[in-house]
Amino acid sequence: MKQRTTRPDWLKPDLLFKVFGIAFFVYLFFGFMLIPCLNTLTQIFTTKGADGKTDPFAVLRFFFAGSMPMFIWNSLKLAICLVITVNVVGISIVLLTEYFDIKGAKILRLGYITTLIYSGVALVTGYLFLYDSDGILTTWLVRSFPNIDRNWFSGFRAVLFTMTFACTSNHMLFLRNAIRTIDYNTVEAARNLGAKPFKVLMKVVFPTLLPTLFSLTIMTFITGLCAMSAPTLLGYNSINPEIVRLAGSSVADEAFPQARAALLSVILAMFTILLLTLLSSYERKGHYLSVSKTKAKLVKQKINNPVANVLAHIYAYALFIVYAMPVVMIVLFAFQNYPAIRSKTLSFDQFTLINFFGTQDYEFMTNRGKHKLRPNSISGVFSNADTVGGIRLSLLLSAIAAALACVIVVIAVNYIFKNKNKKRSTLLEYSMLFPWLLPTILICYSYRTFFNSDNVWYVGNVNLYMRENVRFLIIVAYTVVKLPFAVRMIKAAFYAIDEELEDAARNLGASPIVTFLRIKLPIVLPSVLAVFALNLNSLFTEYDMSATFHSSYGKTYAMVMQAMTMEEGRDGYNVNASGRRCASTVFIMVLSGIILYLVYGVGARDLNERLIAKEKRRERKEKLIARFNTNLKH
Amino acid sequence: MIELENIVVKFEDFIALHNINVNVKEGEFFTFLGPSGCGKTTTLRTITGFVEPYEGTVKVNGVDITNTPIEKRNIGIIFQSYALFPSMTVRNNIAFGLKLQKLNKNEINKKVESIAKKVDLDSKLLDRAVGQLSGGQQQRVAIARALVTEPGIICMDEPLSNLDAKLRVQLRNELKKMQKDFGITTIYVTHDQEEALTLSDRIAVFNKGRIEQIGTPNEIYNHSASRFVCNFIGDINKLNGQLVKDLGLSPDYHHYIRLERLHINPVQKSDDELQVMGVVKSREYYGLYIKYTIQIGDCTVKAVEKNDGINLLDIGEQVLIGINKRDIMSYDDDEKEISA
Repeated sequence: MKQRTTRPDWLKPDLLFKVFGIAFFVYLFFGFMLIPCLNTLTQIFTTKGADGKTDPFAVLRFFFAGSMPMFIWNSLKLAICLVITVNVVGISIVLLTEYFDIKGAKILRLGYITTLIYSGVALVTGYLFLYDSDGILTTWLVRSFPNIDRNWFSGFRAVLFTMTFACTSNHMLFLRNAIRTIDYNTVEAARNLGAKPFKVLMKVVFPTLLPTLFSLTIMTFITGLCAMSAPTLLGYNSINPEIVRLAGSSVADEAFPQARAALLSVILAMFTILLLTLLSSYERKGHYLSVSKTKAKLVKQKINNPVANVLAHIYAYALFIVYAMPVVMIVLFAFQNYPAIRSKTLSFDQFTLINFFGTQDYEFMTNRGKHKLRPNSISGVFSNADTVGGIRLSLLLSAIAAALACVIVVIAVNYIFKNKNKKRSTLLEYSMLFPWLLPTILICYSYRTFFNSDNVWYVGNVNLYMRENVRFLIIVAYTVVKLPFAVRMIKAAFYAIDEELEDAARNLGASPIVTFLRIKLPIVLPSVLAVFALNLNSLFTEYDMSATFHSSYGKTYAMVMQAMTMEEGRDGYNVNASGRRCASTVFIMVLSGIILYLVYGVGARDLNERLIAKEKRRERKEKLIARFNTNLKH
Repeated sequence: MIELENIVVKFEDFIALHNINVNVKEGEFFTFLGPSGCGKTTTLRTITGFVEPYEGTVKVNGVDITNTPIEKRNIGIIFQSYALFPSMTVRNNIAFGLKLQKLNKNEINKKVESIAKKVDLDSKLLDRAVGQLSGGQQQRVAIARALVTEPGIICMDEPLSNLDAKLRVQLRNELKKMQKDFGITTIYVTHDQEEALTLSDRIAVFNKGRIEQIGTPNEIYNHSASRFVCNFIGDINKLNGQLVKDLGLSPDYHHYIRLERLHINPVQKSDDELQVMGVVKSREYYGLYIKYTIQIGDCTVKAVEKNDGINLLDIGEQVLIGINKRDIMSYDDDEKEISA
């Protein structure tokens, strides 16, 4: 008879899984979060003076003596101004579409939410296409007013303008939600007690929005401080572009560039930690919660004063134009040929798909008056080797990182929920949220300097910044940076799981792994997929990290797009970059649109809706087959 | 069938169950009754294996199952929230346990359809999402899912509490019928005394982690073992003041009488009955009966009378109240019942 052997305790899958899991999270936290960042911190105090001796305060002295405070001040100035402008515009667009009765609110809303599918580097390059010295609007303005400064759209003004409209997406998502949940009975009660509409807005509506507005203000401030793509592309000396510049500089060119970059990133981190602490302590105080059990839906308020009403409509449509014009122009010019784009004229005759597909020869005249032909110099997004390479690399890196972040977080959150109120689960959660405290640039800069060495034992003494290895480093950075967002979203999904479901599954004979895979995972899967899609969407055109890790082996789509903003050579180099840039933006908008539709449209469906959709598909299929059979008989 | 012996459950320093001893017979409908936080669900979860006792043993048919894994206990559960898996259809919910038992597909389908029929679940509903069902239908799915694996015991944790009053009464009767049809030993947890009285063969009344009384509904209602039980089960009058003396009761004890045992304007006077005059202070109209608040000297009591649609007492009206001494339940300061 075959004798059954008993597996030793330490070989049991549960225990092995636990040990492996703990080891993995310890490795991840120390190896890719704490140690590289601490190394950055130590860089500041281990700089060597001209005599070769370590001088712990050299960078600090340099900081106060040199121009470094200027970068901090510039970033602070941008952040403060941005808080004002973003809130003014953000609150305006939400009130105009959700609270006041403005004609055409649905169309206005469509215009205002364009930034959801058109953001980051795509938005900045889009604005450049419109407003820079060679932009459409600038060209049209110069034609009408020849004395106008062609370079009006650069520096602080341009960054503030661009970021103001780029950063209102959060207002459209969260403030809009907050205003929609207001109990209309409270508005009616205030009116009934004698309050005028403006008083109602200020005393009843606004106080309920304050917690959301406070969070949005802090997030806007942090976005302003950590701004990267807009200052880089529009030319503004703020902290982040300076860190990237210093990171790529050498001691031969300037004094201890790496230590200065480290100092700037640590200062940025201190600001971020301070603001997030402020936000978290405010959140802990609690909010104005609606006590109503039977909420009435908000009814839009008519503006009774005719002058105010007209002014509100003018303001609403002016904002709409600012939001929609770059998108409309980019879409239109994406289908125009090279001469039309160069001359900034729109024509049906110049309609083409060359900015997307195919190649064309470019014919030009040299300075000596000779005609020259550069074969295949004009190429579309999907025919240009560089662009396709960038798309492919970005898609691959961001998909791997988004998936990794989801897998890590699902395992971690499942553990956190199973060990609720235990110190080890709190520790795990905080370690996953750790990257949230640090500016992305600090993490990336730390990776770039720390892993650019053959002496990091825990990665097998491999230089991760060299050659193709940089792609691995980008994946790790992408994953780590996206962990906090994934934790917040997936944890919320786990909260929705009724604890009795797990008990029921166990009672019916399911092991913990089967319970997780067949009961819990299907419930949280829509949220996990949504997090994956949203992370993929944001990482695909991500600029900050790409710029920090930029190398010929890590040329992501964002960097390719940045290259498209460079001046097009008259002798055939970089020809059609503007057209490709427009087409790229259209491609990104379509991709983002599809992802958002899948997340909030298809992904938000519950089993019932999915079954109904399945039934409809089946009916349609049967009808089609029946019709086909009838035709066949005839 | 099920024996709980000296069960103690601790949650860190808090003792949730103090020395619980219960013996449930085969085929019995046994109810754990008590207010929120009294330990009834903890006791149920100890039986099902979700809670590990600090002390004591759980036995089924004489076999100690205290340390048996949850999935191997062969005890079905119907949860308060029904705990239906939202990502599965009705069919997959019911079949979940069978699939884990690795039965073949045909057998699973056969069993699912058969149990659905038994719990009166329309077969058209089997391929619907559970979210599409009404509360009553969801409850049937939960029952079917718990019964399909043919467990030896079924535990129900307040399965009717999520339903509206009318449906609750309807399903209560169906539940009782189903239990009798299947002949399965059932442990039922509820805080609703009416539910406990109508459904159970026997009831254990819980209070602060202890069992105050185990008995049939009649024993619990008419011979409550403690002041807590008599106050918790049904509406009751506490007698005090001159009335206690008039009835010849000891003022050192606490005396109670059920509302329906006070006879308003009795036609005849029985031997042990004391008749006293009272004044109607208020009345509450319940349709089936009318509840009066009556002032008898310095004692306020409530009494119910069947609503015959004719004899409605007015507020301020003088009434004769008949009280029979044998209907009075008396308790000492230690809350224990003392015989009359």
